[in-house]
Amino acid sequence: MADQVTYPGRLIAIDGSRGKDVAVAAGDLVAALKRDGIECVVSRWDASGLFTDLEAGSRGDRNVSIRTLSLVYAADLAFRLRWEIRPVLEAGGVVVAAPYTDTAATFGTVCGLDAEWLRQLLRFAPAADLRGLAQERKIDAPWKRRTDRGYPEYGALMLEAGAPKRVSKAGRRRMMELLDRARGRTLFHLSNKGIGLLQKALTDSRTEASRRSASRPRNGRK
Amino acid sequence: MPRTPTPKQLRRLIAEREESRGLLIAFEGPDGSGKTTQRKLLTRWLESENHDVVSTRWASSALVKPMLKVRKKIRTLSIEEYSLLHAVDFRHRVETSILPALWAGKTVLADRYLFTALARDAARGLDLDWLLHAYSPLLWPDLVIYFSMTPEDSRRRIASTRAPHFYEAGQDVTGIDDPLASYGRFIDRVVTEYENLSVVFQFVTVDAGDAVYRQHTRVRELVAKAEKRPWSTFSEEAVEEWLIKSHIQDA
Repeated sequence: MADQVTYPGRLIAIDGSRGKDVAVAAGDLVAALKRDGIECVVSRWDASGLFTDLEAGSRGDRNVSIRTLSLVYAADLAFRLRWEIRPVLEAGGVVVAAPYTDTAATFGTVCGLDAEWLRQLLRFAPAADLRGLAQERKIDAPWKRRTDRGYPEYGALMLEAGAPKRVSKAGRRRMMELLDRARGRTLFHLSNKGIGLLQKALTDSRTEASRRSASRPRNGRK
Repeated sequence: MPRTPTPKQLRRLIAEREESRGLLIAFEGPDGSGKTTQRKLLTRWLESENHDVVSTRWASSALVKPMLKVRKKIRTLSIEEYSLLHAVDFRHRVETSILPALWAGKTVLADRYLFTALARDAARGLDLDWLLHAYSPLLWPDLVIYFSMTPEDSRRRIASTRAPHFYEAGQDVTGIDDPLASYGRFIDRVVTEYENLSVVFQFVTVDAGDAVYRQHTRVRELVAKAEKRPWSTFSEEAVEEWLIKSHIQDA
């Protein structure tokens, strides 16, 4: 059932334990690519507005579980794939997805979900060609509980009542460890040097079309 | 803060609650099959028998309903987004209304349950394995009453009352402009999926073509002799997850 999807474009995933750091890393990478004459599109968390609407709908009653939040993340990602990511990849462009699947997978795992459940849930998203890890700042600080920074910060706020230990400083440290584990693919740490290396890898990889395994959960019925 | 219960403690809590917990009954069937009428009749009967009854309807969670409604109205949902948002609604209702009511000994009547999502989304072309995964861990109903009717009858009943909505008619996948014509094609697939699910999940079938009172009599009989599907065998993971969350919040 795992179909291979071929796109002429390139997908760069940037993940991290703090939304602010992911946004900064994406901005730095885009600027560096622009200097090289490579235009790219950035796909950001909550492009669908689902998380914003969810917060508004909760009216302060934050009785939401990590499983519910992960499902919302998947719905938001499906939106981003449809409107922001796939069209650019199909047109041969470069997309920076900041954040992508690893942020949701590692945050969910830290908050007590089974990693395999998360992997299967997000399997409709094509694998990234290149993976970058945002340079983590304030590494000894817990997440700020706020809705406008990024998924982990949003999750920390929404889960404060239901899983306070998991969204603590130790939880963030655990997420950083999980993110740092490269899984069969080079992981670029996005310092100045890392951005340069990722740029080079992107230029090298653009010579041939990529085949990435994506498993769109469709049964082929028309 | 008290410690999170150990797996052993959780299993004990679940086993101890098995006898006093409420019954979960799901009403399933195509549109126009009379589920809501039967659910209301059963509610009245159960209440007259001094049961505490809680009803839960499809896509009704206060948290998700507004955002789902807006997106359905402007027809912007892809098949995956449509499916995932219903999964969000379902999970939130399981955690905040269905499980708390069952735990408190109330009977829960679900006017559509996850089988609606499985049938509709599979009919839209999504993979059943992935769907089951998105809805897991499953909270199995003790009884699933399936109001059976042919796609033609469903279409006729809907046509006599209203024009189906865009997603209800499956216009997002059929591409047919006329809502009723689209519904006719879409419901055919939905009923096929329901029939497959009825075998796997052991639905009890009621003929939706029968007189309302006869259906109600049959529903009463089914409920009166319904046995609980033990949580420890069928739904342990779902109940444990909820217990951990509730334990922390209550602490």
